Amino acid sequence: MTSANAGSLSAPRGLPLEFRSLSKQFGTVRAVDDLSFTVQPGRVTGFLGPNGSGKTTTLRILLGLVHPTSGTATIAGRRYQDLENPTATVGAVLEATSFHPARRARTHLRMAARAGGHDVTRADEVLELVGLGGDARRKAGTFSLGMRQRLELATALIGDPDILVLDEPSNGLDPQGIAWLRDFMRYLAGEGRTVLVSSHLLAEMAQTIDDAIIVSFGQLKAQGTLAQITSHLTGLSMRARSPEADRLCHVLGQAGLPFRRLGPDEVAIDGVTPEQVGPLLASNQVVLYELVQEGADLEQVFLSLTSGLGFGAVAQGTPGAVGVSDR
Amino acid sequence: MIDAIRAELIKMRSMPGVWVTFGLAFPLAVLICVAVLARAGGPLGHTFSHVHTLRQRRELLGAGYFGLEVLAPVMGLLCVTGEYRHKTMTTTFVLRPVRSQVLGAKVVATALWSVLLALLTLVAVVAVGLPWNAALGGVTSQVTDQLGAVVPGLVLSAILLGLFGLGFGTLVKNQIAAILLTIGGTLVLESILIALARAIFHYDLNWLPNGAGAALAGDIARGLGGGGRGAGFHLLTWWQGGLVMLAWGFVPLVAGYFTTFRRDVT
Ligand SMILES: Nc1ncnc2c1ncn2[C@@H]1O[C@H](COP(=O)(O)OP(=O)(O)O)[C@@H](O)[C@H]1O
Ligand SMILES: [Mg+2]
Repeated sequence: MTSANAGSLSAPRGLPLEFRSLSKQFGTVRAVDDLSFTVQPGRVTGFLGPNGSGKTTTLRILLGLVHPTSGTATIAGRRYQDLENPTATVGAVLEATSFHPARRARTHLRMAARAGGHDVTRADEVLELVGLGGDARRKAGTFSLGMRQRLELATALIGDPDILVLDEPSNGLDPQGIAWLRDFMRYLAGEGRTVLVSSHLLAEMAQTIDDAIIVSFGQLKAQGTLAQITSHLTGLSMRARSPEADRLCHVLGQAGLPFRRLGPDEVAIDGVTPEQVGPLLASNQVVLYELVQEGADLEQVFLSLTSGLGFGAVAQGTPGAVGVSDR
Repeated sequence: MIDAIRAELIKMRSMPGVWVTFGLAFPLAVLICVAVLARAGGPLGHTFSHVHTLRQRRELLGAGYFGLEVLAPVMGLLCVTGEYRHKTMTTTFVLRPVRSQVLGAKVVATALWSVLLALLTLVAVVAVGLPWNAALGGVTSQVTDQLGAVVPGLVLSAILLGLFGLGFGTLVKNQIAAILLTIGGTLVLESILIALARAIFHYDLNWLPNGAGAALAGDIARGLGGGGRGAGFHLLTWWQGGLVMLAWGFVPLVAGYFTTFRRDVT
């Protein structure tokens, strides 16, 4: 798949991240508010919430950059600054970090290797790993945003860490860059590493993550697998319009799916996804004029969870706005 | 800890500002050599002559000191303010989460580069000052005999001046402000304060950074008497100067560590 295969990464130890009653007060702002959750190895976990919901602060606390007001953030039970070999345990790509503009990419990574107590030959390895092998001698100041992100990722990987923490890594990346990053994160999680990635855009993350932690105003709003979060929070419902509504109902009945007749050519199907209904109807050659998801889509779940409106607003949905029609 | 020091050395090596201090140290040392040889020719300095008195010999060898007074602190503060300016502190602390180790590594790295800076000025003296002195009829061995008397003070004051800059940079954080305050403070403000203290209180204000550094540097810093320290100005003894410089080096450093350096990095 990606150039990730070219790297020499060792077998990860599969360490969890634990956040326990974490709070951080900046003056009058409660950036993180009694946040508790766990991140499991071998999976990509999305840390999701709108801007200002405390994601960056939480991750900076995890890395010992910010002191929590109360609570703990630990890696397999220990604080980052207490780890014996921090950079071999956690690699981090944080928001608003930078490079000395006059430092060459390789020099920067050699410095990082030294600082972390690793062999300086790692510098060239991680450059290859992120696809910057040809730019090793260029100064970081001349890099594009996408290249800087890759260099940050290379820095994070310098110690071949068991855990990768990424704060809004797709900011400023072009679509190819985002696709590359997605493959890369999936690859690392596939090897058994712990991957925690923050974003304020759920839609962008939906294809990447296994689990989601959803926060708003520093508080936990939901956590679990994406499927769990969406199914359990939305009264998901499909609406189908068909000239042969009777046969449609018959097919649904035979498949054991609950349905309601809405009108002469309209049927509602409850608690199912378009992925389930679409193929079923296609294989039975039912003609459809329309197949629409009536509940909320991911983004609506996200918005309602994070705006504090509760689930009522989600269930209403907005007909027509969420088009998952048959293709 | 060795790793952390080596990382800091790589950082300083790849900072243009540090190379500027090195680039300036050499010509400044050469200029002072010229001044020393000019003065050796007589009070008016119209004719150049080789150095004859003991003090002149030491002045020639320590010609780099006057550059070091400014350049060593600037280099030290670049080592830390560069991180704030380019927002690299996050990376530094993620790579090395124990902050006392980071500051400790910066202390050692700054000290090492200060030594190199001091040695570079000696190279300038050997490359330009000594041959010129010989060309004017001086005996080179009479000058080099004084190496033992000059080099320790030169190197030690370079180190402590570098640490003074590092500590000052840790406190102030803003690179431009720190540079202006260091240069303005040591070259301008110190001279003014010395002059005022002399005029009003008949007191030799000899424990400010430059004065204390000059005391530590010994004879080499006396002759050209910069910084408002005119004739008859009482410098501290070399060991008093050393202790005062130690305080100038470490008090800002410790204060900076307990204030800015341990703060949240957001
Ligand atoms: N250093 C700081 N001082 C004061 N407030 C801060 C600081 N850092 C973050 N905040 C505030 O904390 C809240 C959470 O910010 P942040 O963690 O950056 O959120 P996110 O990463 O989810 O966008 C915001 O209201 C932000 O303004
Ligand atoms: Mg953020």
